[in-house]
Amino acid sequence: MTEIPTLTYPNGLHATQGSQRGALHGLTRPTAVSDTKIAVRELDFHYGGYQALKGISLDIPARQVTAFIGPSGCGKSTLLRVFNRIYELYPGQRASGSVQLDGGDIFAREQHPNQLRAKVGMVFQQPTPFPMTVYDNIAFGVRMYERLSRARMAERVEWALRKAALWDEVKDKLRQTGTALSGGQQQRLCIARAIAVKPEVLLLDEPASALDPVSTLKIEELITELKRDYTIAVVTHNMQQAARVSDYTAFMYLGELIEFGDTRTLFTQPAQQATEDYITGRFG
Amino acid sequence: MRAAVDLFVRRRMVNALNLGLAVAATLFGLFWLVWLLWTLLANGLPWLNLTVFTQITPPPGSAGGLRNAIVGSLMVTAIGVALGTPLGILAATYLSEFGRASRLTPVVRFVNDILLSAPSIILGVFVYEVVVLRMGHFSALAGGLALALIMLPVVVRTTEDMLRLVPDRMREAAAALGAPRWKVVTLVVYRAARAGIVTGILLGLARISGETAPLLFTALNNQFDSTSLDKPIANLPVVIFQFAMSPYADWHHLAWAGALLITLAILLLNILARLLLRAIRSGR
Amino acid sequence: MSLVSTTEHTRLLLRRGLRIDGLFHGLSAAAAVLVLLVVFGVLAALLLGALPALQRFGFGFLISDAWNPVTDDFGALVAVFGTLVTSAIALCIAVPISFGIALFITQLAPAWLKQPVATAVELLAAIPSIIYGMWGLFVFAPRFAGHVQPWITDHLGQWPLLGPLFQGPPMGIGMFTAGLILAIMVIPFIAAVMRDVFDIVPAVLKESAYGLGATTWEVVWQVVLPYTRSAVIGGVMLGLGRALGETMAVTFVIGNAQRLDASLFMPGSTIASTLANEFTEATGELHTASLIALGLILFLITFVVLALARLMLLRLASRQGTVG
Repeated sequence: MTEIPTLTYPNGLHATQGSQRGALHGLTRPTAVSDTKIAVRELDFHYGGYQALKGISLDIPARQVTAFIGPSGCGKSTLLRVFNRIYELYPGQRASGSVQLDGGDIFAREQHPNQLRAKVGMVFQQPTPFPMTVYDNIAFGVRMYERLSRARMAERVEWALRKAALWDEVKDKLRQTGTALSGGQQQRLCIARAIAVKPEVLLLDEPASALDPVSTLKIEELITELKRDYTIAVVTHNMQQAARVSDYTAFMYLGELIEFGDTRTLFTQPAQQATEDYITGRFG
Repeated sequence: MRAAVDLFVRRRMVNALNLGLAVAATLFGLFWLVWLLWTLLANGLPWLNLTVFTQITPPPGSAGGLRNAIVGSLMVTAIGVALGTPLGILAATYLSEFGRASRLTPVVRFVNDILLSAPSIILGVFVYEVVVLRMGHFSALAGGLALALIMLPVVVRTTEDMLRLVPDRMREAAAALGAPRWKVVTLVVYRAARAGIVTGILLGLARISGETAPLLFTALNNQFDSTSLDKPIANLPVVIFQFAMSPYADWHHLAWAGALLITLAILLLNILARLLLRAIRSGR
Repeated sequence: MSLVSTTEHTRLLLRRGLRIDGLFHGLSAAAAVLVLLVVFGVLAALLLGALPALQRFGFGFLISDAWNPVTDDFGALVAVFGTLVTSAIALCIAVPISFGIALFITQLAPAWLKQPVATAVELLAAIPSIIYGMWGLFVFAPRFAGHVQPWITDHLGQWPLLGPLFQGPPMGIGMFTAGLILAIMVIPFIAAVMRDVFDIVPAVLKESAYGLGATTWEVVWQVVLPYTRSAVIGGVMLGLGRALGETMAVTFVIGNAQRLDASLFMPGSTIASTLANEFTEATGELHTASLIALGLILFLITFVVLALARLMLLRLASRQGTVG
């Protein structure tokens, strides 16, 4: 193949009317480290009459961990919830501006959110095992997109559980209900469930804040492990965690993106006074 | 000083008097319960034997049982449940899932709460007007329909309450995997609220099992063995009413046996529902 | 490569999912609308059925005490009077008793006793009304007539003003007995609401009153009750709604006489009992229409009472929302 025509992605997402930017990046993908996965431009977000995001623009690099930090209410979770359009479950919430995934507009009319969510998986703050067996929890998402034979499905479930570093702990409990697992296991189950769909992006909304320190450590190791295959965006209120797991960090405050850069620089030589105040704890 | 002490003593006495009255009120309430149940056992148990279940309602002065009435009651109740349950669950699904932002929702909720306590005899008159007059005769079907209308608001109310207990993050997690709305509701939300929905059905069933008034003008009664949906049908409450109001001793005996039977069934349903509710609460 | 077929499959699933979503949404909305239709359907059917009687008697239907199938002369006064009087008796007994029960369960009972007592009281609501009727007619009425009624008539019957309420032969059945049985039947409903709302009074509110040295009774009477007043009234209205429309128990014990009487010990009838007794045996169009007109009156009264009850209950709920 010598030419790059319109990009077609495995789950039917077309990047036909994507910008040249995305296409250009597509050309150089194999080599460039800072290849952009999600490009956000002038994004505003409203909850009814309240504006939660104000003109956010940033590029989230592929196969890296990008952390979003900031005081509660700064809009970091809201931003994450735009990327898979989960906010649309609630009437009265609306986003405007542009968000492109691999150059394709996620708000495009022909882009159905359910298809988008196949590529952009999400894990929430509270573990949310469904009231079904461990096995069915994993298979639930896969069945949305693929028709697998029993054996292939079993393989996929095992693959996802291994990927989430949970297989050894639950391989004898696949037929037990997911709610019977411990909190840390439940959260890794949710990560496995998201991975099983084979997304390209993983959104983690404070994935460890409801967990004990040991489970938190496991989740953090997992995040580092997963970034080889996935683009990861993680929201956290824990700055040490952001420093430990992320390559890039975005600091947000009152709905605005104050500073965005590679994690080391942001934590050691912040460009903005507000960022420095926040990371040094001189902030409310 | 003296006055202060007097006031103190007076306040203590008022307190003791009123709390004593509260205990008396509780005993007063329980007194009737015990008396009622004792009456039922004393009058019903001696006549509750096998023939009650094997023979059909007798003419006055001869022996017989309640078989046709029991069968009829089961049929009419089954029709009520079969119609009332799916409609109730669907309506509750609208109130708690699809219609959250709709202006219809608070109106339906309000009206449903009124229907919940509306006089059942009025619903009997309604079904008489709409169904019995149209068909030209009383029928088991009309009786079942009247019971369905009584069951409906009970199921709507409890199901909605139970669906609302399912946390939104569960819906988000399913939607984040790309599940369409109907799968989120049927596979995750219904399943999470399963025990609660069953409780609602049991409570509705208990409610309609003892209903007499709406059956008077709809199912009427039938001295003979009939299982036709198109004909009047014997049913326990109406048979009990007719037999109890008669001057014949053996009809009275059957009425008491039937009353005991019906009460035991309803108490059993209530206990089951309560156990389920307790399991739900402790599982949370 | 399976990638393409996966994509096809996904598209298919998506399209199917959207179709089923629409269908499901529509069905559930239809079921919700059905609830509205039932209530308005009931109203329409009653209006239509009552039309002949309303045309014949007009407004006079409400104030006429006639009820004569032979001469085709009907009025609602006796049944409406009986309905209101029996419900009033029921509330006079049930409200203080329910309050006492709720007070006992929420403030006094040791933890191990709360649930059993609450459950037992709720079981009163589970017993079918026909059982109350049989018990009232065969067990309660004879004992009431034999032991209690003569005493009341002898003593209270001689009082000025109140006396006429308690006169007449001791029959056991009548409006007072119906009211008493209604009271027992609505106690669980009123007590359950009171108990629930007493439980949601913020602990800090109660503690600050106790901190001032208030007794349990003073806390309940001066803090808990005012805080929950609207919901308590709502609960009482809910009980009233039940009492107004209760049929079978009343039919057994009220005596079913179509006449007005000052004495509570005399037989009477309510709207519901009249319907239960006469509806299937009504002769002639006007008789049936008059019965349906009675039903219409009952429906309108209970609708208003229950709507008020809901509004009262919502008031506390909304305040809870803003405060808590």
